[in-house]
Amino acid sequence: MNPALHRLGGALLAAGYLPERASSIAAGVDHVFGFLFWLSAFFLALILGLTALFVVRYRERPDRPAPEPCPDHDDRLELLWIAVPLVLVLILFVASTRVYLAMTSLEPGAAPLRVDVTARKWSWWFDHPGGKGSKELHLVAGRPVELVLASTDVIHSLYVPEFRLKQDAVPGRFTRMVFTPTVAGTFQVLCAEYCGTNHSAMSAPVIVHPDQAAFDAWAAEGQGGGGGGAVSLLQVGKAVYDEKGCSGCHSVDGTPGVGPSFKGIWGKVHALQGGGSAKVDEAYVRESIVNPGAKVVVGFENLMPPIPLEEREVQGIITFLQSVKEGP
Amino acid sequence: MTPAEAALAAPAVAGESYLTHRRGVRSWLFTLDHKRIGIMYLALISACLLLGGVFALVVRLHLWSPGGALVSNDSYNKMFTLHGAVMIFLFVIPGIPSALGNFVLPLQVGAKDVAFPRVNLLSFWLFCAGAVLFVATLVAGGLDTGWTLYPPYSLESSRGLGILLALSGVFLAGFSSILTGVNFIATIHRMRAPGMGWFDLPLFLWALYATGIIQIFATPVLGITVALGFLERLFHLGIFMPEYGGDPVLFQHFFWFYSHPAVYIMILPAMGIVSEVVSVFSRKPIFGYRFIAMSSIAIAVIGFFVWGHHMFVSGQSRWSNLVFSFLTLLVAIPSAIKTFNWLATMYKGAIVLKTPMLYVLSFFAIFGVGGLTGLFLGALATDIPLHDTYFVVAHFHFVMVGAVMIAFLAGLHYWWPKLTGRMYDERTGIASAILVFLGFNLTFIPQFLVGVAGMPRRYATYAARFQGMNRLSTVGAFVLTLGLGFALYGLLASLRRSGARAPANPWGAATLEWSAASPPITENFAVPPLGRRPYDYTGLRKVSDEAGWVGVEEGAR
Repeated sequence: MNPALHRLGGALLAAGYLPERASSIAAGVDHVFGFLFWLSAFFLALILGLTALFVVRYRERPDRPAPEPCPDHDDRLELLWIAVPLVLVLILFVASTRVYLAMTSLEPGAAPLRVDVTARKWSWWFDHPGGKGSKELHLVAGRPVELVLASTDVIHSLYVPEFRLKQDAVPGRFTRMVFTPTVAGTFQVLCAEYCGTNHSAMSAPVIVHPDQAAFDAWAAEGQGGGGGGAVSLLQVGKAVYDEKGCSGCHSVDGTPGVGPSFKGIWGKVHALQGGGSAKVDEAYVRESIVNPGAKVVVGFENLMPPIPLEEREVQGIITFLQSVKEGP
Repeated sequence: MTPAEAALAAPAVAGESYLTHRRGVRSWLFTLDHKRIGIMYLALISACLLLGGVFALVVRLHLWSPGGALVSNDSYNKMFTLHGAVMIFLFVIPGIPSALGNFVLPLQVGAKDVAFPRVNLLSFWLFCAGAVLFVATLVAGGLDTGWTLYPPYSLESSRGLGILLALSGVFLAGFSSILTGVNFIATIHRMRAPGMGWFDLPLFLWALYATGIIQIFATPVLGITVALGFLERLFHLGIFMPEYGGDPVLFQHFFWFYSHPAVYIMILPAMGIVSEVVSVFSRKPIFGYRFIAMSSIAIAVIGFFVWGHHMFVSGQSRWSNLVFSFLTLLVAIPSAIKTFNWLATMYKGAIVLKTPMLYVLSFFAIFGVGGLTGLFLGALATDIPLHDTYFVVAHFHFVMVGAVMIAFLAGLHYWWPKLTGRMYDERTGIASAILVFLGFNLTFIPQFLVGVAGMPRRYATYAARFQGMNRLSTVGAFVLTLGLGFALYGLLASLRRSGARAPANPWGAATLEWSAASPPITENFAVPPLGRRPYDYTGLRKVSDEAGWVGVEEGAR
């Protein structure tokens, strides 16, 4: 991108208007912002300048009582002010799209740190890998992150200005955001979708650790009976598997049963009855619990009843499924 | 008798003014006269503007301090909800079409009334009923859902009567809007004066026509949506609420399928007024008539396919996001066409800086900012961080308050002589235009800055570092209120007995409404007029400030 735009981004940043850049896509977002800022400034100056010029120059005065002869249309001019905005809009769209695709794609490299996020009135809960749940979101600088968002009540939206990212958490479905934090430090998660009384107080710290070791040290704190008190998603999932009757039909060791075995099922693509196929992911698992007959795997019958589960139990089963890996 | 004396010898045409034709409350409430219905709309929507404005001032006062200066979080949430709902459903959407459009449209086509006068009255009464339901919502404890009414929050089972009343109010106001659209389209199609072709229509009417299309096609979707919401709340149908198997994002699709085109219901008539005023006060034909007319239609059509940009972070697929982003950005082109044609109209004109023109000049600046900041929200890369922040609040206030309300004020001052037969005081009008412009910018420019810095919208409390900008914004809101007070005073003061009488054509405009008396007779025209070119000022001659311009007839073809 143009060095002038870099300078502008820097100037706005220095003036305190743009938040710090703390994710890998923040600079790209700010470049598009800078481009648009100058584009708008130019056109606004053009509109205001022409307005002022014409008002001063062509104001009705005693020595100038009537307009000067002037055509009332000109197709070349019309073409000009159709073509120029069209070209600029196309450039903007391409630039914005490139950045947007990066904003919604996982960076290749290290395996992403997956955090299950639960939004509820009016707090956040983050289940980190290894079973550590917390009211704080903990990440590692330079390591890609995958957040899977759920809500237990109304729509919320996870917003971290320094990451330049935002994603709604919608009850009854999972949403996802992927990014790479780049700066170690503490930031704030804000709620950006109006959710009632304490909407403006629904925030949580984001702690970006400088390296994996620091994150691991944090994750080990309070583990092994040292307190914390929270039950991990995996424990919830195991309990649901045992207590809600899943184990009656779905084995975890590959033994065929009434339903498909859970062993190694996560992420697999299955052929469905009536054609088509489905990948076993969060959305598929949720649908199969709420409406089991919607997508039945070839070779099995539509026998499963809908299982009413709490949001956390759905998240637990998903974590449990991920843990039942292929292999001996 | 000199022409001046002739013009002053009232009435210029045989017949009695529509204002004095019949007297008594009943003669107003049951009138079929589009002019009286327009005046009643004007009074009602002005009252709604006042009510919505009071809510806005409470909101701004509360935000004086980061922790909230005035009321509890819950009360604040109700205040911004009612501010938004009243302003949008009862002022911005109906404002220009129902009040000014009702009055001006039949006069501009040279007709006696709209095509369906009884439907017009029904539409007014439905609107009244909708407004009453909103007031009832207030009495029933208010509503804190935000004007967008997103479920699950809005339809939670703990909610009482408020949400049901509000949904019913939206339903009725929407029905009123549909009927107005039907009436306007039928009138423009069927009742144009002899010799008035489609391209002899004043641009205000092209704008109302495009608006009518949107009202007819989009508003039923709103009606269905709020009806479904009503039933969902009462009977748990499982349409929008996840706990009953519904999908809250479906509501957002339905809602914005109406509410985004509704933005164009608001802005198109405003653009129509600007087209009229800029030509008349530059004393020059409008530049690029056909392009302005067609750009109204283009905006109406494209406007139907951009609703998804309200849902860029709702979890919809990124490919739909890209399509909606692209279509949204395309709206820049018809907007640019209009803006540059207006500027070209002033080129080499003889610009008269009266109140309507001053409002239109501030419209150029404010619509410029409002339109250009729309690009930031149409482009995905910048929308994601800015979505649901104060940047969005500032952007849509630049479009809805800045552009629409300022154009409404331009139109109100421009047609005031025709509406009432009185001239408002020019100095008060100019003072109001300047104060409104300054107050508006002081209110909303700081909101862009806090939005870019990451302050989300609908926050009852906020981070301390945003306090300075919020205080500027609050001060601005009071300057804006003062400006509106000046406008109100200037207009109402002209109604005193001693108020200056308006001539039939005070501005030297060439559209047909100015060949009727000020105020018009009940039948509008003593002799049905012939169509003429709306922006052809040759043949018009100024007699004096008091007597206005004469000679429209000589310009007829």
